[in-house]
Amino acid sequence: MTLKKVLLGTACLTLLPFAAAAGDLASCKGKLPQLNVIGQGMPAVTALDAHLAEFNAKWGTEVKVSLLGENERRAKARLDASTGAGAYQVMYIDEANLAEYVTAGWVYPLADVVPADYDIADFRVDLSNVASSGGVQYFAPFVGGGDVMMYRKDILEAKGLPVPKTLDELVASIKAVNDPANKLYGWSARGQRGSGMNVWRWTPFFRAMGGEWLDGDVPVFNSEAAVKATELYIDLMKNAPPGVGTFNWSDSVEAFRGGQVAFLIESDVFGPWMEDPEKSQVAGKVGYAPPPEPLPSAGWAHGWAVSTVGAKEDCAKTIAGDFVGWATSKEMEQQRLAAGIASDIGRVSTLQSEAYRKAVPQEYIDALLATGPKTNLLIMANPAWPEIGDTLGLALEELFTGTRDDVQGALDEAVFAAEDSLSRVK
Amino acid sequence: MTRQRFIFLTLAPATLVLVTLALVSTGGALWFSVMNRALRSPDSEFVGAYNYLRLLRDKRFFNALEISAIWEVVTVAGTLIVAVLLAVLVHETVKRALWRNLICFAFLAPVLLPRVAAAFIWRFLYSPSLGLANWFAGLFGIGPIEFLADPKIALLSVAVVDIWQWGLFFTVILVKLLETLPQDPIEAAMLDNARTWEIHAFVTLPMLRGPIISLALVKAVESLRSFDLIFVMTGGGPGTATETLDLYAYQSGINLGGRISYASAMSILLLVVTTVAFTFIWRAGKKWSR
Repeated sequence: MTLKKVLLGTACLTLLPFAAAAGDLASCKGKLPQLNVIGQGMPAVTALDAHLAEFNAKWGTEVKVSLLGENERRAKARLDASTGAGAYQVMYIDEANLAEYVTAGWVYPLADVVPADYDIADFRVDLSNVASSGGVQYFAPFVGGGDVMMYRKDILEAKGLPVPKTLDELVASIKAVNDPANKLYGWSARGQRGSGMNVWRWTPFFRAMGGEWLDGDVPVFNSEAAVKATELYIDLMKNAPPGVGTFNWSDSVEAFRGGQVAFLIESDVFGPWMEDPEKSQVAGKVGYAPPPEPLPSAGWAHGWAVSTVGAKEDCAKTIAGDFVGWATSKEMEQQRLAAGIASDIGRVSTLQSEAYRKAVPQEYIDALLATGPKTNLLIMANPAWPEIGDTLGLALEELFTGTRDDVQGALDEAVFAAEDSLSRVK
Repeated sequence: MTRQRFIFLTLAPATLVLVTLALVSTGGALWFSVMNRALRSPDSEFVGAYNYLRLLRDKRFFNALEISAIWEVVTVAGTLIVAVLLAVLVHETVKRALWRNLICFAFLAPVLLPRVAAAFIWRFLYSPSLGLANWFAGLFGIGPIEFLADPKIALLSVAVVDIWQWGLFFTVILVKLLETLPQDPIEAAMLDNARTWEIHAFVTLPMLRGPIISLALVKAVESLRSFDLIFVMTGGGPGTATETLDLYAYQSGINLGGRISYASAMSILLLVVTTVAFTFIWRAGKKWSR
């Protein structure tokens, strides 16, 4: 074989993906009048609106994004796939329902649908891990991460308190700064029921106390550790704004942004929200640190996947896959940063970019890096989790709002219901 | 064409569509209720009465049943009381037609608001730290009141929104009905030196007994469909303090539970209970309105 032939062959192989893509474009353009996407109103999703015309023109289609609240989005997507309706080609997936979707075979592996030149390896490892099941990545994450402790630097300074490094120090500081008479509360947290609501924020406390979800196949989240975690959570809620028993994440974050709260442990994406001077009364006054020991950080990720039910046809699969690739590309992340959205970052290259360093305080980046090693998927990775999490969330909400006060009894009931949910999965 | 044939032919298409829709959905729900279909998997088996028997052991189901009954009583009674009192007040105090029409127009606004929009507005008004309701309460040294987070008052707080929407609407209807009443009995009562409240309690309102019972029935049916209002305002919480049957069916069937057969059994029971209850209420209503 001559050098010329080798070079020609190499060149052809290099160009093969582009040729294939050009072939897909030529054969599928105009074949799918509407690409239906089910989503949730995260900044990365709503920011796509400004660029959709570009994608529509490329494929001769019209992208229709249906935005729903978290629980409604989960319910509708599941209904669409399980009934075989297949109205949506692109699904918005998160850590709580990945196991269920993969077990049921409702989504394609990501590598099977995205364009050949798409850089999957550039995703943040913590997000890729959450987006994978059995070593296969199923969705392209555009937002996610772990937890970060946000605190009011000015309040701690005024009280002469150091930044808490342990949970005990945090509890003491929360109680020390709590001053309801002046509408300043030490703490805020999610109380509203739901696997992605109160259970999500309670879980790090549960795991920090040594709690485990299962012992073999048997649910054991009514252990002593769970009781202790719940009692501490309830105790901290006494230092929170009124109504905290039914707070969702938005209520909690807004209470902090509104200057009413001194300490908040929340998902790290909310860090940049605090620095927006137009919406935050505490911009420039917030410090960031990893959750104090021994609290772990709750790993999560949201992203796009292609539905096996909605995108059965080759062209639908190709266009849906290209949408996922386009919406989560490096270029799109840079465009979001340029538009002032620094909260939704899925790629390492974006975190390392100059634009990102300019958008957020260095202290926040340091906290993110320090939290990374503590970040794991803390929820039960099981297809029955949405139901188990919902039942547990209901029990916790009853305890947080004072509807009932027997912690052990409430957890026992949640475990009893979980046994049934798990047996149905088998 | 005879008159009877004409009536039959014009009613038949709409009746056929309605009956088909009702039968298909009810039949579908019945079928699902005897299977063990879950949204997680397309496979299912026949389980007979298992779902119904499980419901009879489900504390949350009985709680939802109780909440639904309380919701019906509070919203229907509240709406009618507010409507009657306001209608009498407007009828007695506002004599100029222009002002009366303007008030009626303003009273129509809440019911024209979509339920979800009304729910969001009131959710914000009720906010313990930022809401107007607590600001007012604070002026009198009360609060902060956790309207939607306190299990003792959450259902009542949501019911207030329902009564605000429908009570004002029914007020307009009653004001217009009061205007159409014959004046002779009222004048006779006035000649007998009856006081204003006596005239309304013993003359005008008994004359409106029929329409008021009809309004109560309309409201009772409407109150069964308050899913959107409760869902947006509390999601059934705190705990299960505002979880009505339709909300519980949604939570277990469509939302996170995915037990579509269990939810179908719940829907069928709800259908049976409401049909029986409304049959009795309808008969009693017909008797009272005579």
